[in-house]
Amino acid sequence: MNRAFAVLLWITAGFCLALRVGGSQPAAAAPQDPAELERSLAVIVNQSNPVENLSLAELRTIFRADRNHWPDGRRVTIALREPGKLERATVLREIYQMTERDFSRYFLHATFTGEALSTPKTLATAGGVRKFVFNVPGAIGCVRAGEVDETVKVIRLDGRLPGEKGYRLQLERP
Amino acid sequence: MKLKRFQQRRRPASAQHQLFLAIAGAVFLATLLASACAWAQQAVAPPPSDREVIAELLKRVQLLETRVKDLEAERAQGAGPAKPIKAAPIAETPARTAPQGENEMAMPDTGPNLRIRGFTDVTLHGSNQKGSTTSFSLGQMNLFITSDVSEKFKFLSEIVFEAGDDNAIGVDVERLLLQYSHNDYFNLAIGRYHTAIGYYNTAYHHSTWFQTAVGRPFLFQFEDNGGILPIHNVGASASGRIPSGALGLHYVAEVGNGRTSRAPLREAVQNVVDENNHKAVNLALFARPGVLPGLQTGLSVYRDVLAPDNSPRIGQTILAAHAVYVRPSFEWLNEALVIRHAPRGQTHVFHTPGFYTQISRRFGSYRPYFRYQYVNAAADEPIFSDVGLRHGPSVGLRFDASEAVALKLQYDHTNLRQRPGIDALTLQFAFTF
Repeated sequence: MNRAFAVLLWITAGFCLALRVGGSQPAAAAPQDPAELERSLAVIVNQSNPVENLSLAELRTIFRADRNHWPDGRRVTIALREPGKLERATVLREIYQMTERDFSRYFLHATFTGEALSTPKTLATAGGVRKFVFNVPGAIGCVRAGEVDETVKVIRLDGRLPGEKGYRLQLERP
Repeated sequence: MKLKRFQQRRRPASAQHQLFLAIAGAVFLATLLASACAWAQQAVAPPPSDREVIAELLKRVQLLETRVKDLEAERAQGAGPAKPIKAAPIAETPARTAPQGENEMAMPDTGPNLRIRGFTDVTLHGSNQKGSTTSFSLGQMNLFITSDVSEKFKFLSEIVFEAGDDNAIGVDVERLLLQYSHNDYFNLAIGRYHTAIGYYNTAYHHSTWFQTAVGRPFLFQFEDNGGILPIHNVGASASGRIPSGALGLHYVAEVGNGRTSRAPLREAVQNVVDENNHKAVNLALFARPGVLPGLQTGLSVYRDVLAPDNSPRIGQTILAAHAVYVRPSFEWLNEALVIRHAPRGQTHVFHTPGFYTQISRRFGSYRPYFRYQYVNAAADEPIFSDVGLRHGPSVGLRFDASEAVALKLQYDHTNLRQRPGIDALTLQFAFTF
């Protein structure tokens, strides 16, 4: 009897533990560290864009206008924050690997040769970038992960979402 | 007695057991209650008290106030908030955001926008060449115009104002293209374009500001400056990527009128009338490997038939190869080509080889550079009788005084066949506006 009761107690404890673990699963799927999430830069596209994941190399070809179209045929349009903003500095450092001056010259040259079908649009606020991406089906932009809302879609970068371990686009520390 | 003893012995055991059962039962019930409470908390929250409700409402009011302030700030900066998905229709046209550094002329209605960018230079040039004088020269003033006709169609042109040797200024439409972009694998352009022979011709058009050196390599000089290649062509050009993964293969296929047979009094580019029915064809293939951004290698084959006056037709074939590595702070260009002329009815075939190499490295605003170039046309070459042999080095320094203004100083030494070499010094102010 004692042994049976002990087994019952053990099972109950195990069940409670399992419930607790099960209850924490959604939290595990979400970004682990809110501070980490705040430091991440999210790549956002229009909700109608079929792309879910890009490698960093693919992202570079898109942002450098080596690729001008999405798989659905839409023309790529890049939305960036204005010069001096941390988000833009991160994009220039991690994606373009250029200075502001090199970036301007690069796109002027790409437009001149006809290889770039459009130049990046500069927007003053994160809300402006979101709104642009929301309104333009082929748009792609970058905003802080904490500033993403349901109007846009976040692209996985090398299979990772902002805030997840190993995510490559991290804002420069001030 | 035995029963009594048994009862005496059994009683305390039963009491202990009952006590243990009571404790275990309490623990079990407590565990179950705790689990149930945890379960219930996850599923349905217990009804909050009035104080909690008020606190929650105050918190939400604070959040809403913050949000309203953010929205007002965004509106004040000219960008509205992101609209909810169901509230805003999806627009087909991009937001009217002016690209950096370009002048945009918006039509009063919803028509295409015209964007204009300008390039020009002023040069001081002197040399020991017999008959030349040290002179200030106005360079080409290029108005580079683009317009998004629609999502798939785009217009591009270069309108160039240029002074000739007679000091008179003329106007040339150097490029005029209607481009159709279906996807990354198929783009079609029709109009006047720069032929995709080698690298330099399509990388640097009519702007000295883009170029590191003061001028183009002799191989890629414009037709009206004594160049030997069909730099411009009027016709159609298809281009795009070739599915090749990290290799980054691209193709270009062009068909056009070709250039005239180097008759000095004729316009070299056949803008309206071709001198024969044969069309010039050019095929180019190049790779931009993803593992090394900035690297490009490629080949091209150009074929045309020339029809010089009072002479048999000449088959022209141009084979070109290039390997370049271009990064913002480093540049290494290498190109070689051979032009084959085969007059019909003759067994003799003429080959004109040429190459150049150019290397530069940026140090802050300064960029020293070096170029060596070579071209060798036979003295009896039927088309290039005025070219001959010329080769030699160029060394220079480019100083970017601002994002849009460059100052270049260049020294050239050119060796010629059976003629004295030429030393030249050039100072150039090149800028974009």
